[in-house]
Amino acid sequence: MKNIIIGQYIPGTGFLYKLDPRTKIIAVLILMVAVFLLKSITQLMIAFGIAIIILIIGKISIVRVARGLKPIFILLVFTFVFQIFFNKEGTVWVDETLTFSLVSLIVLVAWTIVWRLLTKLKKFKMMLFFLYIAGVYLILRYLTYGTIFSTFNFVVHEKGVEMSIFVVIRLLIIITLSTVLTLTTKPTDLTQGIEKLMRPLKYIGISSDDFALIISISLRYIPTILDEANKIMLAQASRGADIAEGKLKDKIKQIISLLVPMFIIAFKRSEDLADAMESRNFVPGRERTRIYDLHFGLLDLMVALMTIGLLTGSIMARVLWIG
Amino acid sequence: MGIQFKEVNFSYTGVQKGFYEAIKDISLTIQDKDELITLVGQTGSGKSTLAQHMNALVFPTSGSVEIFGKLVTAKRNRKIKYNEIRQKVGLVFQFPEYQLFEETVEKDIMFGPLNFHVPEIEAKELAKKALRMVGLSESYLNRNPFNLSGGEKKRVSIAGILALDPQILVLDEPTSGLDPRGKRQLMNLFKSIQMETGKTIIVITHDMDLVYEYATRVLVLNAGCLVFDGTPDSLFKKPSLSEFHLDYPATIRVLREINERFHTQIDIYQKTVSDATIAIKRGFKS
Repeated sequence: MKNIIIGQYIPGTGFLYKLDPRTKIIAVLILMVAVFLLKSITQLMIAFGIAIIILIIGKISIVRVARGLKPIFILLVFTFVFQIFFNKEGTVWVDETLTFSLVSLIVLVAWTIVWRLLTKLKKFKMMLFFLYIAGVYLILRYLTYGTIFSTFNFVVHEKGVEMSIFVVIRLLIIITLSTVLTLTTKPTDLTQGIEKLMRPLKYIGISSDDFALIISISLRYIPTILDEANKIMLAQASRGADIAEGKLKDKIKQIISLLVPMFIIAFKRSEDLADAMESRNFVPGRERTRIYDLHFGLLDLMVALMTIGLLTGSIMARVLWIG
Repeated sequence: MGIQFKEVNFSYTGVQKGFYEAIKDISLTIQDKDELITLVGQTGSGKSTLAQHMNALVFPTSGSVEIFGKLVTAKRNRKIKYNEIRQKVGLVFQFPEYQLFEETVEKDIMFGPLNFHVPEIEAKELAKKALRMVGLSESYLNRNPFNLSGGEKKRVSIAGILALDPQILVLDEPTSGLDPRGKRQLMNLFKSIQMETGKTIIVITHDMDLVYEYATRVLVLNAGCLVFDGTPDSLFKKPSLSEFHLDYPATIRVLREINERFHTQIDIYQKTVSDATIAIKRGFKS
């Protein structure tokens, strides 16, 4: 509970930290559009290279970003597999018959158990996963003894492989870009940037001030509420309501015993916060000044020009079909 | 039996690389009966963390805690039912808001016993008994715990733990936020519960007057280390408490000042105000 990082901001010194959050937000949006304009793997590879170069110049550890990619690893694998299976264009590369038979199913179950046991080791998880997938393929391909339940044609087309690599790289670039944004921008700066960018919306009746305030207060209170939740859990555990032990029937009651104090404390906190803000003369909707105002500097201008350059490049690439 | 700490360390791991050592190398034994222990130390000295080790709410980073024969170490052992420890050692948290959740006081007190599979009728009896022990009348049984005053809430939350009939009762700053009279009432209550039932009671507090008057044993924590373990008399007879970041009780401070100002020879070690008054009278007569 205590180790949850909110936002992924890691303090640093690279040039990305000195940028105005508005520049970063808009640049990331534009670069995403630019990535979507690209049409071939070669172009995407170049874009990926540029993304890596940005990381290196910005002194951001690539390991950090890679770790940020972990949660979406499943999504990447899923996209990859999906594309391989369902894209039926181009020349056929692989055409194999996979068999679900009694023997192969039993071996499959055993293989899965072996894999689950091995993942307990915690190291080489990724490698084990690929090994597992390869094993599943080999089992289905060659173990054709015993009663055969059904067969299944495993066909891979050239375009399928191409598209799956294409989509995965595109996702990788986009996630890297957004990770860079959250890694180098404090949540407060980010909300301030969003607030400034949303200014024009006030003409259609949406107050960007209120919006930014809501975001920053929620961000500010996530650790506090987590801390409170932890204390409530301990307090109820000392009355015998340990969520880790105990039966399902008891657990429902135990969850209520956590939720009620949680809500009461959250309401109390928000009342206190409202009082504290009012006593410091906060009036909703009134114009407020900031201690640190955002500055659009030379560096921002350079980054903006670079971004526009990259966008132009990708438009050109699309129009002229380079690569 | 009771609780044995053996070289217990505990550190909170921080968001970034650093970690914070809350308690360091603590070894101590707590008997399962007839002790009224106070745990003192400045804010952030690890009192609450130590208390949470006493009923296995947190697990030590290294070292071991033996609680009524069950060994708690850094690794969670699947064979041990940690829940049972919480029935033997009851921990009352500082803020009653963290545990009150039912719509009536009775149901809230019954929550603990029901978690330990006590039949409902018995749990009701236990609730009544616990409520009586904390000095509230039965008319409170059907009241909403959220409409009670701060002191009453505190008593109900203590009753919620007492209903489990723990052998050792640990209270995290039960007297904070109460008026002086309420504090004294609560401490008298603990004293009487301890006398009646022979349970061991451990109270975390900042109030040296209460420590001096009520405790049979004092544990002093300073920056996570156990720096003193003994009777309050021997603690306050020390010439200086500044190394512990503590202060003397009011009686000692007042009597010491009187001795200095009037060059009298009053015995300054008086636990209560009435004892101190008698001592002053005697001192001025002679």
